[in-house]
Amino acid sequence: MALAPTIDGKDAVGPRWPGLGAWGPALALVAVWLVLIAATGLYRPDFLSHQTLLAVTFTMSIVGVLAVAQALVAISGGFLDLSQPSGLILSGLVTVRLAEAGMPMPVLILGALATGAAWGLVNATIIVLAKLNPVIVTLATNFIGLAALFLLFQLAQVPRGTAIHEFGRTSLLGLPAIWWPMAALILVAGFFLPRTRVGRRAIAVGGNRQAARARGISLPRTRIAIFTLSGALVGLASVLFVASSGPFNPGSANFLQLNVIASVILAGVSLAGGRGNLWLLFPSVGFLSTIPTTLVFFGLASDWQLIFQGFILVFAVAFDGYRARRAP
Amino acid sequence: MGHKTYGAATSAGALAFGLVLGFGAPAAAQDDGFTLGMMVGGNPCCEWMKSQGDVARALAEARGWNYMELSNNNDPATALRNAQILVQEGADAAIQFNGQPSSNPAIAQVMNAAGVPIVTYDIAQEGMYFVGIDNLGAGIAGGEGLGALVRDEWDCNPDLVVSAEGAAAGIVNEWRTGGMRTGLRNICPEIPDERWVSFESQGDAAVGLPAARDLLAAHPEAVRIAVVGLNDGGVLSLIQAAEQLGRADEVMGWGQDGAFITGDNVNPALKGSVFYFLESYAVNAIRDVIEPIAAGDAPPVRWEAGDPASQVQGCPVTAEEPATVPDMEERVRLLLEAPAGTTAYDLFCPNR
Amino acid sequence: MTITSAQPDRFEIWRERLSGSVASITITFIIVMAVGLLWVGPRFVSTSNIGIIGSFLVVPLIVGACAGFALLAGVVDLSIGSMVGFASALFAIQIAGGMDPWIAAPLTLLACVAMGAINALAIVHFGADAIAATLGMLTALRGMTWVITGIGGASGAIFAFHPGLFGMANSRVLGLPVLFLLAIVLSLIAAGVVTKTRLGRHVQAVGGDDKAAARAGIPVARVRTFALLLSAFGAGVAGIVFVAQLGSAARATGFGLEFQVYAALMIGGYSILRGGVGNPVGGMLGLLVVAGVSNIIELKAISPYYTNIIVGALLLGAVLLDRLRGGDPYE
Repeated sequence: MALAPTIDGKDAVGPRWPGLGAWGPALALVAVWLVLIAATGLYRPDFLSHQTLLAVTFTMSIVGVLAVAQALVAISGGFLDLSQPSGLILSGLVTVRLAEAGMPMPVLILGALATGAAWGLVNATIIVLAKLNPVIVTLATNFIGLAALFLLFQLAQVPRGTAIHEFGRTSLLGLPAIWWPMAALILVAGFFLPRTRVGRRAIAVGGNRQAARARGISLPRTRIAIFTLSGALVGLASVLFVASSGPFNPGSANFLQLNVIASVILAGVSLAGGRGNLWLLFPSVGFLSTIPTTLVFFGLASDWQLIFQGFILVFAVAFDGYRARRAP
Repeated sequence: MGHKTYGAATSAGALAFGLVLGFGAPAAAQDDGFTLGMMVGGNPCCEWMKSQGDVARALAEARGWNYMELSNNNDPATALRNAQILVQEGADAAIQFNGQPSSNPAIAQVMNAAGVPIVTYDIAQEGMYFVGIDNLGAGIAGGEGLGALVRDEWDCNPDLVVSAEGAAAGIVNEWRTGGMRTGLRNICPEIPDERWVSFESQGDAAVGLPAARDLLAAHPEAVRIAVVGLNDGGVLSLIQAAEQLGRADEVMGWGQDGAFITGDNVNPALKGSVFYFLESYAVNAIRDVIEPIAAGDAPPVRWEAGDPASQVQGCPVTAEEPATVPDMEERVRLLLEAPAGTTAYDLFCPNR
Repeated sequence: MTITSAQPDRFEIWRERLSGSVASITITFIIVMAVGLLWVGPRFVSTSNIGIIGSFLVVPLIVGACAGFALLAGVVDLSIGSMVGFASALFAIQIAGGMDPWIAAPLTLLACVAMGAINALAIVHFGADAIAATLGMLTALRGMTWVITGIGGASGAIFAFHPGLFGMANSRVLGLPVLFLLAIVLSLIAAGVVTKTRLGRHVQAVGGDDKAAARAGIPVARVRTFALLLSAFGAGVAGIVFVAQLGSAARATGFGLEFQVYAALMIGGYSILRGGVGNPVGGMLGLLVVAGVSNIIELKAISPYYTNIIVGALLLGAVLLDRLRGGDPYE
């Protein structure tokens, strides 16, 4: 990623932080999450239990990793990657095949990351060479990818008793083992995005591509880097997915897509690019993962969860739009 | 800009042309002889949906029939369209699995109006030959199998009985899960009402997992948990959730369809299932319905699940028994090698 | 097919017509027809086969013609597929309860327009991102479809077979389904509105550059609200048609329809990210092309997954063409 002109950190376009004003929405999000937890806890005191914590954090894990991958694409001006389900299943299939061949855990992880990165690179190559919008490219590659996967296999799962199978079922320090990579990723990526040259370039490209190009940033290289990295993260998510999900088929990851995109939007990441704090993915993924659990405690059928999640998303983006209009 | 884009338009057309042409040489026209149309469920979940088509194709070809296979793609509208296409293409008889049965009345109307007899698997519809499992009966048998374990191991006193539902399967879901609850009650009538709970598993071990974890979290005191469900996948999603919440020690599940009870990857908490041998349905359908039709001697349309045109025998098994049952690929191979009319139940059910 | 104020010479007009998005989708359409005729044989264009293709195009054509206005106005509406499911469930449960279709239909449409109004309120009034807001609506409406199809132990499907409606949905003229012909007429009317009326010019202007449109005195908010309400209304009508055709509504009715329809509309020259481009005739041809490809695959009894692979490739080809034709390159 060596590029000739160095970008000075001070004038790079980045998130406006840490002024407290910018933290307003974050605090609101955390507050809403806490209110939800408190309200459910008042109604059903046994909600505040280790079991609930485990249920919510398991659900957070895969969505959280995918959300980081999605947010990186959005912040760098790539709008959305709609091909995550295909990428995840493809990497997952490779992981399963490696596990069946008796390969050790590091090989599985490397295989998944490499497959995911390759999938991202294919998307990026089409986007950069044909100069096409990523939303449409990934919509098309997801169509093609899922269809091809259905022609390729019907059912796959990691063998019982392997290290990766255990990884999906054990706890570490009271939380799921698969939760920690997600938490670490959000922490690390959120720290480095505004503080490294690559990260600042990505934000700059997403905010204003002309200005970024004028400063000597190569748009194609940044796109390729971001989509490949994002694909590798989808590969990481696939490790968590195959570890914890048991038998899966090519369509088993479709249901994650909406939650991932909703988490990214709720975290205040601008789909137009250039704005977003990855740390906010933590409360947004947490909040959205808590809703279905609370509904069960309130005795509502799980069919209702989509209604709540959907209207919360509509409300959140309406609020976000209103705030953006009022801002000077 | 005109010339450039005109050229581009033409090249896109050529691209589309090449793409469409790329898929193989023209197949032989299906004009002469008996034509069997097959509408498979799709391939959204399971190996058996593909196997149902593969076996039907092999059996039809062995009889010298033409065979045309379409996929319902798990979509009610596509199923109806496929029925119309089979009529248009001159099918003499048809078989379908329609996992989205909401369009079945319309399909029956189309096929009956055209005079094309149709066999439907597993989900009864007036006007279609019923071939398949007695879902309610299979449910009850599975529930009684689990009930025996609950009685022996827990003295009929489980803390929780969970039902893994798959609402999209409609009435089949109600028959299977309702049947399993009935069967369990037949053995253990004293389990209090408040211990019976359910969740939406979508019939998929991976997709049902979050809802399963939430359900367990909402019942933190439950230790001895009995699980029933519309299929092995749904039951497995709750078992896996219990593993993740550290509560799998005393979970006993009993599934339906036998998808996850064979092979060397069986979850120890899945105590039993009911094999339907779905791949073998075509043996029944062709032996008892399609062959007579091809011979010009159509049997009466027996359409009710209780009085089927050909009954598929459910095969309840405990987890120890199916070790002798080969996996799907091997079963299909052995099934096609067996003498005509032999079902997978005859070949593989360990306690027939 | 815009007519500019300065009178261009005839040659210029024709060159523009031959190189525009409608021209390329027309060529693609002709190619699909040719492949069908050569590979499948003459029965590809038999009234029976066109009737089969046509009756399953009614829903996408209605949805596409109406949602196309939202695309043109620069506010993509992703909630249409779930809206079709919501409308069909709502309509079916009323029919199953014995209500007269002439009362059930307006009630259903009213509910859909009300949901469309929530979209419009969030997007137009509060300035929400259209993709994000309608994605939320997509989720919420699917949830409502699930809840409605589960009412009273309905077990995921509502059977609402209505002989009158079924007869209407399957009535034919000249061997072709009446509803299909009506849907084609609807698409042509939509094309007329877009190209020939002031409303159409306003919609295109708002989608092309909303600030310029506002400066020109066009009521941007009102035009976009209209487009979103029309999109919801069209999906509502399509949901009712679905119930008439299938005699039922199910949890999955309309699931994923938005991607199918928008992929076809983009193949036909619309853009989901850039307002002001596309034409209902192109959109109609896009839907016909996808349906034709799917029909060829079915008649040749090839795995339907190849249809999706071809549609994906066509989509990439179409957006590439759009860019070469002068659409914004993405960098």
